[in-house]
Amino acid sequence: MNEWVIETRALSKRYKGRYAVSGLNLKIAKGDIYGFLGPNGAGKTTTIRMLLGLIKPSSGSVHIFGKELQKERLSILRRVGSLVEYPSYYGHLSAVDNLEAIRRILDVPVGKIAEVLDIVGLAKEARRPVKGFSLGMKQRLGIASALLGSPELLVLDEPTNGLDPSGILEIRELIKDMPRQHGITVLISSHLLSEVELTAGTVGIIRQGELVFQDTIESLHRQAQGQIRLVVSEPEQATVALMQHGFRAELKESAVWLNGGQGDDAVAGAVKRLVEREHSVYRVEERRKSLEELFLQIVGEGLRA
Amino acid sequence: MMGKALSSDFLKIRGKGLWFLVFLGPAGLVAMQALNFGLRYDYLTERYSGRLWETLLENILMFVPIALYLGITLVASLLANVEHHTNAWKQLLALPIARSAVFGAKFALCFLLLAVSCSVLAVGTIALGLSLRFGTDIPYGDILRLSFMPFLAALPALALFLWLCMTMKNQALPITLGVVLAIGSVFSYSLSEWVPVNWPLFGYHGTHPWAFAGAGAALGAVILLAGLLHFGRKDVN
Ligand SMILES: Nc1ncnc2c1ncn2[C@@H]1O[C@H](COP(=O)(O)OP(=O)(O)OP(=O)(O)O)[C@@H](O)[C@H]1O
Ligand SMILES: [Mg+2]
Repeated sequence: MNEWVIETRALSKRYKGRYAVSGLNLKIAKGDIYGFLGPNGAGKTTTIRMLLGLIKPSSGSVHIFGKELQKERLSILRRVGSLVEYPSYYGHLSAVDNLEAIRRILDVPVGKIAEVLDIVGLAKEARRPVKGFSLGMKQRLGIASALLGSPELLVLDEPTNGLDPSGILEIRELIKDMPRQHGITVLISSHLLSEVELTAGTVGIIRQGELVFQDTIESLHRQAQGQIRLVVSEPEQATVALMQHGFRAELKESAVWLNGGQGDDAVAGAVKRLVEREHSVYRVEERRKSLEELFLQIVGEGLRA
Repeated sequence: MMGKALSSDFLKIRGKGLWFLVFLGPAGLVAMQALNFGLRYDYLTERYSGRLWETLLENILMFVPIALYLGITLVASLLANVEHHTNAWKQLLALPIARSAVFGAKFALCFLLLAVSCSVLAVGTIALGLSLRFGTDIPYGDILRLSFMPFLAALPALALFLWLCMTMKNQALPITLGVVLAIGSVFSYSLSEWVPVNWPLFGYHGTHPWAFAGAGAALGAVILLAGLLHFGRKDVN
């Protein structure tokens, strides 16, 4: 019995011999907000399309609510609300009619339309043709459409795209409330860690189609801490020497960096070794990486687990 | 399930010019004959006296295939464009509805719209005949056959163009093809009756019109099925 709301197994998608997504094992728990991060072209949208059955995986499988997507697509989608990439809408129709077109397929009560318009703050503009909406308003309409079927799982691909700062804040608050108030699980993709940092419980980071990190946000915070920077004479030799003594040392910007959970004793030991080898130690300082820096590092080169 | 999609589609085509087109087509055909008979009224009524209704129907028939092909192309393209325009496919097909129901509803809507066109043609023909004082001995059977049998015989084109328009974002190819087919249908009369392009004509004319209408409906069903299968599997970007 698994309790993952979304679980993908070795999910891959190949376009003309190139993998857009490869070997993805996502695991998203019920009631969680999962931040799905990655730079442009990493494969976020491709993954989300596969989760919704819009495109077929080249290999691997998707399980949602413990059921296999390929076999039970309709009963799964009944419980999922989604927004893929930029918003889709019918420009000649008003916001209400756009939602009505979807409502007729979902078969939910008419009253839901006013409710979701109110939630995303479009109630006043509801009767205007959508083609005259700003990008942010269209985005809000997209979110309203996703909420229309009272979903248990929300899949949002860059939902704050095009929103102004107060809009971003609003949507963030809205998303934060989902698990608390309705027990909804949320998958939200973004380029920016900072955007999901405050809402997400778990983050998955995808880079060139591969999942390079997947853990709780606390664990990410832990990884972001404690790097010791040593400025010494002949840093190359110093790095090699420290590595020979079993330190996780690294040469960067002509300084030596000690990675990962360095206690006082370890730092003292490292300095001692360097002094013994007649390196001059000019500076020993702790550098705390911001989460964003860590994120960029992970995205840049991947992270060894 | 198709009913839900259809009801949604009826809402979506509001203000898209489809209903206008549905009335414009048959109105155009009738107006052309009004002009034809109006300008040469004395000559034509004398020459064809005794078979005025028949002559009217024959004259209309000449333009029915081209009007059908153009209508099919435009209706299919306009309808598909409602979804293509802002790439609404990804939203529509992520809803809990079978792709076959989505495709089926679009086909049903095209069929209904064109059937309305055919009905308008029937009514328009009767009105024109009466106002030209062709007498009250109205050949209802022939008028119904003229209005609907060529349409049935043209169903392969409807299935084909709907499929092309729904699956290709760029509508230039299907529209070009449709226009070529429409114009070609004027000249293809000399070719064999086995050529499906000619079926709308033989669906009224000839020795066994029912065979052509039936063949059209059958071939249309086969193409529709192929379209359904393809649409059901294709990736949606
Ligand atoms: N239909 C397609 N045909 C060929 N390649 C594709 C197709 N769709 C996506 N790709 C490729 O797959 C890769 C991943 O694209 P995807 O849209 O999933 O990235 P993304 O993470 O959503 O990026 P962004 O942040 O810019 O939205 C890209 O290199 C893209 O070129
Ligand atoms: Mg994307």
